[in-house]
Amino acid sequence: MIYPEALEELISEFMKYPGIGRKTAERYALYTVNHFDQEALDRFSQALSAIKSRIGRCRICGHLTETDPCAICQDPNRDKSVIMVVESPKDVFTIEKSNKFRGIYHVLHGALSPLDGLGPDELNLASLWPRIQQSEVKELIIATSATQEGEATAMYIQRVVKNMDLLLTRIGYGVPVGTNLEYADEKTLSKAIENRRSF
Amino acid sequence: MMIQKITLTNFRNYQKQTLTLGSGIHFIIGANGAGKTNLLEALYVLSLAKSYKVEDADLIRYTCDFAKIQASVASQNRQIDLSLIITEIGKKALLNDHEIKRLSDYIGNLHIVSFLPEDMSLIKGSPGDRRYYFDVFLSQIDKNYLEMLTTYKYTLRQRNELLKKLSAEPKPDTTLLDVLTEQLAFHAQQVMARRDEFVKEINDVLNSAYKRLAHKNEMMSMTYCPSIEATDTTAFLKSKYHQDLVARITNYGPHRDDYDFYLDDRLARNHASQGEQRTMILSLIMALGDLIYQIKKERPVFLLDDVFSELDSERQNRLLEYLTTANLQAIVTTTSVQEIKETIIKKAKIFRVTNGYIKEEY
Ligand SMILES: Nc1ncnc2c1ncn2[C@@H]1O[C@H](COP(=O)(O)OP(=O)(O)O)[C@@H](O)[C@H]1O
Ligand SMILES: [Mg+2]
Ligand SMILES: [Zn+2]
Repeated sequence: MIYPEALEELISEFMKYPGIGRKTAERYALYTVNHFDQEALDRFSQALSAIKSRIGRCRICGHLTETDPCAICQDPNRDKSVIMVVESPKDVFTIEKSNKFRGIYHVLHGALSPLDGLGPDELNLASLWPRIQQSEVKELIIATSATQEGEATAMYIQRVVKNMDLLLTRIGYGVPVGTNLEYADEKTLSKAIENRRSF
Repeated sequence: MMIQKITLTNFRNYQKQTLTLGSGIHFIIGANGAGKTNLLEALYVLSLAKSYKVEDADLIRYTCDFAKIQASVASQNRQIDLSLIITEIGKKALLNDHEIKRLSDYIGNLHIVSFLPEDMSLIKGSPGDRRYYFDVFLSQIDKNYLEMLTTYKYTLRQRNELLKKLSAEPKPDTTLLDVLTEQLAFHAQQVMARRDEFVKEINDVLNSAYKRLAHKNEMMSMTYCPSIEATDTTAFLKSKYHQDLVARITNYGPHRDDYDFYLDDRLARNHASQGEQRTMILSLIMALGDLIYQIKKERPVFLLDDVFSELDSERQNRLLEYLTTANLQAIVTTTSVQEIKETIIKKAKIFRVTNGYIKEEY
């Protein structure tokens, strides 16, 4: 072993992140030792160890939040008649940055994919059905990605809600085929939201 | 289309080899095991980003950790550099030194039509061999086809996985199966339509290619035998849920399609002799070349491995005459050029291969 054990341990922790290989992990570990004082490290490790207890899923929409319900669900100025269904919390953050959407969300935490063991029961779908039966809900925007899985998820939801008194729309416009929402820039995204089509 | 220069590094039994090529026929002559097929395989891999028979890692020269194929290719309106680097953990494709991530953006830059000894099974072998051969061809000339086929195959895997799961349930909910079936049907229709169109296009040129090579009055033709013949693909697939759930697999679709070859009304699969099969396959290859020329206004590079056995010397020479068509480039391997007409040899370039080393003969 080239590195002292303590460094080696840190390196293997960094390597648990997607997209971080051995080389990058080594750089991060060395940077940590060379550039962080004890105070900074304490803040870092506290933030890290508290993350799971401070962050959870919103019981209404499933978004990641410190308060339950989340700030978006609690905000009296949001339009509760429009719900946008997205695959991941990352999508909510992206759309919020664009500042174009004033409704509320529903986060599925995935898309339907038998190959990944993700069926309707594995996604956050069960809580969607009672939500949209509330009379104040007028429109459901399906904003799953334009991948095979995202399309399948959109079609599945359409099947289930088709007899409900609800405007069902799909965004995908402007989001290139095969692209996940998170890669779409804010401008294409706001265009996509404006141009949503009924489904 | 013309490969002007090719460099192999650690590819199969080549350590470092550069060849300068031109138009017309290039004979690659050498004893068994010298590396003739390996050279054609390198060009095939460069064109299609994968081999026809093996895993990428098998292409790397023993004890080396990467293989590299580079070529300068001239086409009517541009000059491109292609390279493919293969390592144990993956490969990288470059077009003019820019990395290309999507297969469909890479394939189609260097058009090839190939005949390899394996392709002798095209007529009597399994439907899968025929589908593979024509899928490779269509992917080269139609980027949409490759994308459609890729999505089809992916959706098929999703659906088969779902069938496995649902088959274990006493009262399966088919909502998701309906969705995946509709998605599958959508892509299936596009794949089938393109295959059908292709067979029509090829039949326009196939018979004249056969006549040119065989000098016979029989008529050669090809038919498309889709697994689904119903006009409503979705309804058809939905009518097979029970069968699919029992088999835990999708029983119908482009993944079960086939093609048949005929001489007059005789089905070649049942009747053709070895020699007839070879003549038919070589006619097909000439026809594929003609079809690419019609569509792309440019001839593909022909890669012909060991084509002469079982072909009488008249047909050998007729095939070679065809390969001397203007602006056509062909790379032809053989163990000897004894039976080949002097006039053809004179115009050709000749390369001798020994043990992973190639030398041009002047
Ligand atoms: N990955 C590899 N590394 C080194 N040599 C290889 C590799 N794969 C195949 N070979 C060698 O290549 C030779 C076969 O070359 P091939 O092109 O098939 O010959 P032929 O001239 O008969 O077509 C064999 O000697 C084989 O050992
Ligand atoms: Mg060989
Ligand atoms: Zn919420």
